[in-house]
Amino acid sequence: MSIATANRLTPYLFLAPAAIVLVVALIYPIGYVIYASFLDWNPSQRIGEAAYVGLKNYMKLLGDAAFRESLWVTLKFAAVVVTAEMIIGVGLALLLDRNIRGMSLLRTLFILPMMVAPIVVGLMWRYMYHPTIGIFNRTLTSMGFEAVPWLSDSDWAFAAVVIADIWQWTPFIFILSLAALQSLPRSALEAARIDGASQWQTILYIKLPLMLPVLIVTMLLRLIDAFKVLEVILVMTNGGPGLATEILSLRINRTASEFRALGEAAAMSNILLLVLMGLTLAMFLYSKAMEARARALRAAPVGEE
Amino acid sequence: MSFMQSIKAGLFLAAASATAVLASDAAFKPYAGTKLVVNFPAHPHYSAVRKVLPEFTKLTGIQVEVDQLEFLKMREKQTLELTKARGDYDLIAYVVFSKADYVFADQLENLARYFMNPKLADPAYDAEDLIDGYVQNIGVAGGRKGYLPGPTGSLFGVPFGAETSVLFYRTDVFEKHKLAPPKTYTEMLDLACKIPQMEPGMGGVAMRAASGHHAAHAFLLHLAPLGGRIFDDQWNPIVNNEKGIAAAQALKKIVECGVRGSQVFGPAEAAASFAQGNSAMFLDSTVYAAGFENPANSKVVGKVGWVKHPVGVRAGSQTGGFGIGIPKNAKSKEAAFLLLQWLTSKEADLKIALEGGNPSRYSTHKNPTLNAKFPFSAAFGEALKDADPDWRPIIPPWGKINADLGTTLSKVLTENADIKASLDGVAERTRAEMRAAGYYTWQK
Repeated sequence: MSIATANRLTPYLFLAPAAIVLVVALIYPIGYVIYASFLDWNPSQRIGEAAYVGLKNYMKLLGDAAFRESLWVTLKFAAVVVTAEMIIGVGLALLLDRNIRGMSLLRTLFILPMMVAPIVVGLMWRYMYHPTIGIFNRTLTSMGFEAVPWLSDSDWAFAAVVIADIWQWTPFIFILSLAALQSLPRSALEAARIDGASQWQTILYIKLPLMLPVLIVTMLLRLIDAFKVLEVILVMTNGGPGLATEILSLRINRTASEFRALGEAAAMSNILLLVLMGLTLAMFLYSKAMEARARALRAAPVGEE
Repeated sequence: MSFMQSIKAGLFLAAASATAVLASDAAFKPYAGTKLVVNFPAHPHYSAVRKVLPEFTKLTGIQVEVDQLEFLKMREKQTLELTKARGDYDLIAYVVFSKADYVFADQLENLARYFMNPKLADPAYDAEDLIDGYVQNIGVAGGRKGYLPGPTGSLFGVPFGAETSVLFYRTDVFEKHKLAPPKTYTEMLDLACKIPQMEPGMGGVAMRAASGHHAAHAFLLHLAPLGGRIFDDQWNPIVNNEKGIAAAQALKKIVECGVRGSQVFGPAEAAASFAQGNSAMFLDSTVYAAGFENPANSKVVGKVGWVKHPVGVRAGSQTGGFGIGIPKNAKSKEAAFLLLQWLTSKEADLKIALEGGNPSRYSTHKNPTLNAKFPFSAAFGEALKDADPDWRPIIPPWGKINADLGTTLSKVLTENADIKASLDGVAERTRAEMRAAGYYTWQK
């Protein structure tokens, strides 16, 4: 091998470990799931024994009312929890972005729900929602109100899992928003104050726009997570009553273990992956557009404004 | 039981085990030193088994290592284990609905060649003494409908840790209001709603009803005694006929007259409601009996009576629980058979029952020593005669049909969905599943 060839190959040699990791850790599993979604595969078979059925699994899913309901529950759940968590989380961060004594302790307390294992969160809420011995119904009845059918009515059950998720994950948004707030350039805030901007104006025109890139990433992370939440709902309602809280990841889990249809479960995972990729792409494009707009504004000569 | 009777029973046991040791020495010798790995569920019966297992090792010199898992996890692990060329397990306990999957995938040993082998099969085994409904339901495959016994069926496992459904009731509440424990469905449904009026705050019957598997299970518990089935003999879904509707109505009535939150009860919650004194009756498996007599978690100790699962147009209680079988990919199959045979022998069945396990033999249920220790075992022995091996279809597509039935019924219970329309939907989707699985290939 000539020295020139060796020189040309050197960069690839250095890239190789990263490429190998990427192929082994990312491309292979995803390829496997995509391949599996074209098979009629049950867990008693090795993958090589499973029959190839083409797009049959996907066609079956499109005609499956339970799957469509599950997809709808997932979209509704993700939209509701992420919106609520963003509003509460960012709101809390704006309120607590000041020098309060014991702030670090308070911050630690706030993020505690995030650290609790999901199974424990599920169990805890399930007992709090218990129809007779749960704290909520006991409090309500002791105050003379009607007890609420928390987990035994489809609308209440959906609300119940939403509340539990908001309780657990708002701190995530809170802590990231607070970090974003505290790293904002002080000069911009000072300039606004000198210009006589009110608190609301500072929040609306200075703080939120400057925080936006962080908020978008935070929201995306939460959205991806909300689409995949499993354990808490599994323990709290196991998808019931009816299919009221059967989000897609729960249905995938049941399809694989209860229905023993691995091919169909793989097809569902791929649909979920596509939905998530679509969302990520949309967010990415949006933040790119926002950046371009900001750059254009910055580049524009001051006189033209 | 009198003192003399206990001595006689004790002497009989001692003599029986002494002969067993002498006669079986030669059979066990070639396998002494073998180490078996077995896979059992986390279940009261199998916890009792573990206390008795050291006696097998002492008798045979065969070591046994137990891998105990929660039953659904156990099923998942077995599914993977059984596809390997050489498996890690020599003997597995399988949950009854796994029979179809394992036998269909040719993963369990046919036990005929072991029972034919004079060096392995114990002539004193007395298979007629095994509870018949369970042998049929858990052990035999390949006969009628594929999962039931019949001229073409053969044995792939032996029931071990079998349960059936009975009705538990509060003796004090029934005595107070001079009520007789229900024998028929009409009586049970009537009392289910009457008792909450007589005893404000108390529910009628506590039973499982949560969305999915539990609601389907509860429906099936009513379907068999009320004369219904999921399929007719040509695999046509008949779940939506008048008997199916009656079963769904029974479930709905029980839930409506139950304590608050009954719609989402799993079996554990339903049992807890009865144990805490909040429900007058409890319809579920015999396995809960011992728990109600344990003062640590029951407020109804000494106040619990049992009757057979009430009769509708026929007697038909559930057949559930576990069986044990030998995987095709096991390493030491013959030694595993010796363990299977010993565990389900008269001698071991009684020992395990005395440790709190569920007997698999009629003789054990009648045993006076056992009845002195657990007063319910004779009643349960009687109840087992009603156990219906066909109360639930054991076919590979059942998992999906079961889930659909369970979520649809949950909508009936929680959203007041129309029963007939809901069951029509189940029947239609079931037909599509069955067609896809090839069950109508031979239909004209």
